[in-house]
Amino acid sequence: MKKENENNPLMALSEAMAEAVATAGRSTVLVNARRRFPASGVSFAPDLVLTADHVIEREDDITVGMPDGKELSASLAGRDPGCDLAVLRLSQPLATPAEPVSVEGRVGQLAIALGRPTPEGIQASLGIISAIGGPVRTGRGGLLERYLTTDATPYPGFSGGPLIDAGGRILGINTSGLARGTSLAIPASLAWQTGEMLVKHGHIRRGYLGIRSQPVELPTVAQKALGRQQLTGLLLVGIEEDSPAAAGGLMIGDILVGLAGEPIADPDELLTKLTGDLVGNSTQVEVLRGGQPLCVSVIVGDRK
Amino acid sequence: MNTQALVDDITQTSAMVAEKVQRSLVIVQGRRFGAGAGIIWRKDGIILTNNHVVNSHHPRVILADRGEYDAKIMGRDPGIDLALLKIEADDLPVARIADSHNLSIGQMVLAVGHPWGQPGYVTVGMLSSKSELRLRHPNRVLSIIRTDAALAPGNSGGPLVNAAGEVIGINTMIIGGDQGVAIPIHVAEGFVDEILGKR
Repeated sequence: MKKENENNPLMALSEAMAEAVATAGRSTVLVNARRRFPASGVSFAPDLVLTADHVIEREDDITVGMPDGKELSASLAGRDPGCDLAVLRLSQPLATPAEPVSVEGRVGQLAIALGRPTPEGIQASLGIISAIGGPVRTGRGGLLERYLTTDATPYPGFSGGPLIDAGGRILGINTSGLARGTSLAIPASLAWQTGEMLVKHGHIRRGYLGIRSQPVELPTVAQKALGRQQLTGLLLVGIEEDSPAAAGGLMIGDILVGLAGEPIADPDELLTKLTGDLVGNSTQVEVLRGGQPLCVSVIVGDRK
Repeated sequence: MNTQALVDDITQTSAMVAEKVQRSLVIVQGRRFGAGAGIIWRKDGIILTNNHVVNSHHPRVILADRGEYDAKIMGRDPGIDLALLKIEADDLPVARIADSHNLSIGQMVLAVGHPWGQPGYVTVGMLSSKSELRLRHPNRVLSIIRTDAALAPGNSGGPLVNAAGEVIGINTMIIGGDQGVAIPIHVAEGFVDEILGKR
């Protein structure tokens, strides 16, 4: 009977799946920060845990259940309600950091959702990556550059836990808090980046210029003047008083076509770009004014 | 091994495993409406199924080869929702039993049964969790396993098997609500041994 199973590729696949769950399970923790049902989290440093923002309903008295059953107290290091991510700092650096994927997920690849909503052990469900989407504005006022959807069953308390590949690497962080109850995953690269930013600043810095704009097509002559092929830009139809845009000298009628050396073709691109180190610093805004390209220095404001 | 050969190999093996499990799967008709599933425990006609499936004193058992039998109830336990039946038959294909003490979360599982009356229907998933359920009447703790493999009425009493086709649990819709719950096979073995007077 043993011999038969040795050559059974289904057994090999089954064992690989269980192994992947065990590997990533060592970095999947229980997050106890709301009344009633606990949720899950993923450690990304010995003392840091990524989880979903919406499962953090209190900022004091947060505890984290480790895979070995130990319970640690934790504090909130930062949160980004817009993208539904939060970082907890453990009272002791006892966590095993998870390994994120080095190559982005692909539609159709095997994906396993993990959670640890009870002290009884790791929980898992099987599926594939069903779709990759984004950018999309979240129901919580943020902009998600990319997201994954899966058909793996999102059991109660899986929010904040990982979606993993067949090798136990983290594809993304699961959350049901972004799209009105349907479950999606924030890609690991994005989540790790956000996590590091949250540790540094406590919140995600979102910049603003103080403009109202609408997308317009760029005529061929304008594209020629720009020296590149770019089909659309943002026509400025309003400049707020005392705003970064006003201070930098942007004017109604300018067509915004680039920011910090990169082309901007629609409002979502501008929103995605206006984050991180750009905030609070002088940056180059490229506009078309009277058909001619022009670079204007603007100090990007910090939208609190 | 190249990818195509691996995929072909996996496809063929899963079909073989499903067929093997279907041979020792039976239909249990105990109620006026609907039917449940059961597995052949011993070749001399001992059948294991859910208690709630056998909601009559004269259950009938239909084998994979369409043979129909009147069954005698040898024992039942509503607390863990198991029942043991006996039919007058011999040389039946016996279900292979796994050791359910050593299950891993994430291992592949197949559920085989008759959901909504479709005989021998196979669904795939993984072992999602192991937990303990506190029962009130009688007061005891029951180990259960959960799967994300799709289950529906008609899967009750049917097997949850591992990638080798060995039974790791008996699917029990009645306890889990909409989630797939199974009684680990070692719990069922204890139940069977008690009735058949072993140990």
